[in-house]
Amino acid sequence: MSTNPTAVSAVHSKPNLLLGMLEWFGEFGIFVWQVLCAAIKPPFEFKEFVRQLDEVGSRSLPLVMLAGAATGTVLALETRQSLVQFGAKSLLPTTIVYSVITEMGPIITALVVSGRVGAGIGAELAAMKVTEQIDAIATSAVDPRRLLASTRIAACIIAMPLLTLAASFSGVFMGWVASTLMEPITLVRFINQGFQGAGFKDFLPSTFKTCVFGLIIGCVASFQGMRARGGAQGVGSSATTSVVLSSLFVILADVVLVKIILLIWS
Amino acid sequence: MNRTARLGAFILFTLAILLTGIFIIGSKRYLFTPTYELKAQFANVAGLQQGADVMVGGLHAGTVKAVDLPNNPDGKLTVTMMMNESTRKIVRKNSIASIETEGLLGNQYVAVSFGASDQAEVKSGDTIASVPPLQMSELVAKANGLLGEGQAAMKNINQVSEHLKSVSAKIDQGQGTVGALINDRSIYNNFDETAKKADATVASAQTGIKDFQDNMEALKHNFLLRGFFKNRGYEDSADLGKDAIANAPDGTPVKEFDYDAKDLFDKQDTARLKGQKKLKDAGEYLAGNDFGVAVIEIAAGAKGSSDTDMTLAEGRALALRDYIVQHYGFDDTKLKTLSLGKQPGEVSKSGWGEIKILIYPVGTAMPPDKNPDKSQQDNSSQSSR
Repeated sequence: MSTNPTAVSAVHSKPNLLLGMLEWFGEFGIFVWQVLCAAIKPPFEFKEFVRQLDEVGSRSLPLVMLAGAATGTVLALETRQSLVQFGAKSLLPTTIVYSVITEMGPIITALVVSGRVGAGIGAELAAMKVTEQIDAIATSAVDPRRLLASTRIAACIIAMPLLTLAASFSGVFMGWVASTLMEPITLVRFINQGFQGAGFKDFLPSTFKTCVFGLIIGCVASFQGMRARGGAQGVGSSATTSVVLSSLFVILADVVLVKIILLIWS
Repeated sequence: MNRTARLGAFILFTLAILLTGIFIIGSKRYLFTPTYELKAQFANVAGLQQGADVMVGGLHAGTVKAVDLPNNPDGKLTVTMMMNESTRKIVRKNSIASIETEGLLGNQYVAVSFGASDQAEVKSGDTIASVPPLQMSELVAKANGLLGEGQAAMKNINQVSEHLKSVSAKIDQGQGTVGALINDRSIYNNFDETAKKADATVASAQTGIKDFQDNMEALKHNFLLRGFFKNRGYEDSADLGKDAIANAPDGTPVKEFDYDAKDLFDKQDTARLKGQKKLKDAGEYLAGNDFGVAVIEIAAGAKGSSDTDMTLAEGRALALRDYIVQHYGFDDTKLKTLSLGKQPGEVSKSGWGEIKILIYPVGTAMPPDKNPDKSQQDNSSQSSR
């Protein structure tokens, strides 16, 4: 254990904190590079990719839409209070739509997916690793990075923007429902007012930046799973670490991405 | 549902959302409707931004595509607008673009007015006229000036009310004349007493006047003074003009008696009768014939002032009327006097004035009294007697 510390143990062993972090980033970089190299070379694992896309995308859809709906409702309720104070109640649709499509939809989706998918990938790969299934795959002349990691990462990258769209949709819709329950407004008027002054620069970059979130979630979860050590404890800590780290990196990456989007499109 | 179908549904659903979003935003930007370009130049765009709305007749009809700075300091900013094709029939060459604000602090937008129907339609890329935007800062500056004036006015009002306050305080404390009036009860008491005394004084004065009148009456009949009144021809000045009328009656008299004043009166300036026997024919006519109105018309001659002559004429009329009424019996209410005052008269040769007694037929309207109050008073006193 002490010779091959996991990220968690690296964080907890104080003298090796900095060293452990550097080691982790080094290993992570090498892993990502190897996966990239393996992924661009045929044969492609299309069946596994579809299975993973279903796992990451379709099966996450209800959860993500529910989270988006809750966000939209809460936004409508909370924002209305503060807008009424400023006498800007008519800006409620704009506020809801703008918040949901630029930030709330993407970040809520990323956090939900990193919770559900990150833990799933981390635990699954860690279990395969500790039961030496990955080694078995490697001995049968199939690169486990291509078969297991690259398909999952690609599925995350593709599914994230689609899930984000679904989350934004349900957020805006439930925002309208919450608004119209407090003060009736037709959906057409709500959409018209909401998208008043909204451009593609508000909609498309913030939606497709979630590809980066998908990449982060896929890479971190796969990496944490495939470097798991020990038995059931290793699987557990691997799943936990992949959720914690992917959520953290998603939020940190969002800061950078928002800045980049603002730089490019305004 | 198998895995592939579920995945297909997921992908189609989310792509539909993506397309809807693109379409909603695209329609706001007129990406899917035919548009044309319109330009307007402003010296100041007051914060107008790219993507702002363009309104035609208050309806959203386009967006601002670009706001470009001029190439040189003398130029103006160019606002390029993407207009909905449907506005092409309304916007003409003489349409005017103006930058306005939604509400007081809202977003800026461009309003394009309707053109005149006889003007040519605009072509894509045309530049239309513009009016400079009303800026909030200018409004605030104006409002500031107004507030300053208001403040000065308030200061004046404050000063005035300060003065009023000090004045009313002084009054309240009994300082000054008004203060003394309001606060000092003794003044009111004095007033009250004075008024009571004045009342008593007036009452005694009335009694005094009554006594004086009695004395005067007695004096008139006293032998020492009787001569004066006798010479004057009448005793009571109050009776003067009692039966005078304002003007001669309408119509022509049936009978006229003319006398020279010298034949009837003692002196040129008195009303004392002397040759009253000469009135006999007139008196007998009045007593013997039915008539409507008889008028004693007196001209006082050309001598003396107008005032004294009017008094003289009235006095003579009074004396004559009294004589005729006392000596001949007829309805004396029909005998009236008319004083002409200072006039030489037509028949008089002496210059003392003349007297005409004019008798009008039955049915002649009674002319109005010269002094209605006097005759009224007299009538009522007569009836009470």
